[in-house]
Amino acid sequence: MSSPTPIEIRNLSKTYRLGFFMNRQVRALQSLDLTLMPGQVYGLLGPNGAGKSTTIKILMNLVQPSEGEARLFGMAPTNREARRRVGYVPENPAPYEYLTGREFITLSGRLAGMSGKELDDRVNEVIGMVQMTRAANLQIRRYSKGMVQRVALAQALVSKPDLLILDEPTSGLDPVGRRQIRDLILEERHRGTTILFCTHIIPDVEALCDRVAVLVGGRRVREGSVAELVSAQATHMELTVEGLPLERIQTLGIELEQARVLENRVLLRVRDAEAQRLLKLLLEQGGRVTQLQPARFSLEELFLRALEEAKQGPVGGEIS
Amino acid sequence: MGPFVALALNGFREARRNRVTLLVGIFAIAMLLSTTLVLEVTVNTFDRVLTDVGLGAMSLMLVLLTIFLSSGLISREIERRTIFLMVSKPISRGAFLVGRLLGNMLTVTVLQLAMAALFFGMMAFYKSPITSAHLAAIGMLWFELWVLSGVGFLMSSFSSQMVSAFVTVSVYVAGNLAPDIYKLAGKSKSGAVQSLGEAVYYVLPDLSKLNYRPHATYYAEITSAELLSSAGYAMAYTGVLVSLAVLLFNRRDFR
Repeated sequence: MSSPTPIEIRNLSKTYRLGFFMNRQVRALQSLDLTLMPGQVYGLLGPNGAGKSTTIKILMNLVQPSEGEARLFGMAPTNREARRRVGYVPENPAPYEYLTGREFITLSGRLAGMSGKELDDRVNEVIGMVQMTRAANLQIRRYSKGMVQRVALAQALVSKPDLLILDEPTSGLDPVGRRQIRDLILEERHRGTTILFCTHIIPDVEALCDRVAVLVGGRRVREGSVAELVSAQATHMELTVEGLPLERIQTLGIELEQARVLENRVLLRVRDAEAQRLLKLLLEQGGRVTQLQPARFSLEELFLRALEEAKQGPVGGEIS
Repeated sequence: MGPFVALALNGFREARRNRVTLLVGIFAIAMLLSTTLVLEVTVNTFDRVLTDVGLGAMSLMLVLLTIFLSSGLISREIERRTIFLMVSKPISRGAFLVGRLLGNMLTVTVLQLAMAALFFGMMAFYKSPITSAHLAAIGMLWFELWVLSGVGFLMSSFSSQMVSAFVTVSVYVAGNLAPDIYKLAGKSKSGAVQSLGEAVYYVLPDLSKLNYRPHATYYAEITSAELLSSAGYAMAYTGVLVSLAVLLFNRRDFR
């Protein structure tokens, strides 16, 4: 019986051999470990060349690993039964341009083993889901980039996959197109589909993912839930105070990193170590603290910090 | 409809919607019809010229089309990045390749049937006798197209369309001259040249074995054993080429 874990990656490495004599080696991935539990939306975040697409291509049997192993539902990616449960949208998807959107989605369904009325009904359903009903019978060569992306998503969804693997699904799209794709991913998330989502667009990760791994130079440098990663980096606290003017607070002898007055409230930002003392003093002075929370450290800041740290150590790239 | 048939029919649809296929088809039919112009200048050899020019035109156009279609069969998929959406589907790489090859051959077969129907229609119109040699020539041309498809297809699985087309044209020319190369090398005093000629003969497809057009022109006898042997040779040779293509394709990374 197959394992229910949608994705398990252990010690996965990939070194490409390039050049006419295959004598140039480029390390794309180094000892990657990753586990995706059912129903999770997992983001792979990293700059270009971080190894995100290589990881996905190994999972989709497009690239063979040099070391380690990747499993889909407990099976090797070469196993057709494993891939039958997966819907995949590659980076810059290129469906056959001579086909119409409907024909391409139908072909994808047939290749996944569907047929007859079940296939026809499902094709109509996914065309509706991606809002392509009016353009479904036009040849793909006439589609805009956003339309191609939606057809690519529809072909991935046609076989009702348990796992969706999306490689940069919103890159190059205008804000409306990005929003539409994000909404579709959220709908699938609500249906309980496990999603592996690879991008370098940080707001997409914040909006969509439960857990995130940051890859740099083919190595995983951070991993955790978005909240964990962000709060682990929080070094400041934010307080909202009522009933005390800012001038009075500034005389309490605590260094304020930031202070703003909003109508009858004062918003303060102090270092973590000072927060308890400030709180005590504010209460003693008759102030009312209505909110106290760790200062939000954006994922973008975390990502940039991870990049900086990774530059100190060995990274991937050309090795010979 | 299984995935295999879906791929083959899709290959046929691709070729049908390709303007080059359409143009080749129209040009081939125009060439066949123009045979009647050649007939205006013949006196005693009317039937022979009709057969020669008709079968020659059919062969030339179908060979060109086969080389064009097969040499870009896989390389175009890789260049246009359509391969990512196809190879990731729950089908084996081998099934994908063979499905694409079958789609290619389906296109060529449909066009060949249309051209053969037109050719036989013209023969009937001019009351020229249709013999079993005519049928054999057209049937064996089909097997020759399989071999050429196999060569283009194998090359296409690891090289660009230009390289594949160049190699396939070269194999077509050399394959038709294979027995001559063998005989010529045999006359050499050098053992190395003789061995080289022998090696070339066995590596290249002997396409002269599949050329029955002279038999049709001169109403020569052909035995069924001879036909079976030639057809078997063509299919075995194609089988080896396809197996090699699958072997190479299975090991390939698509970056």
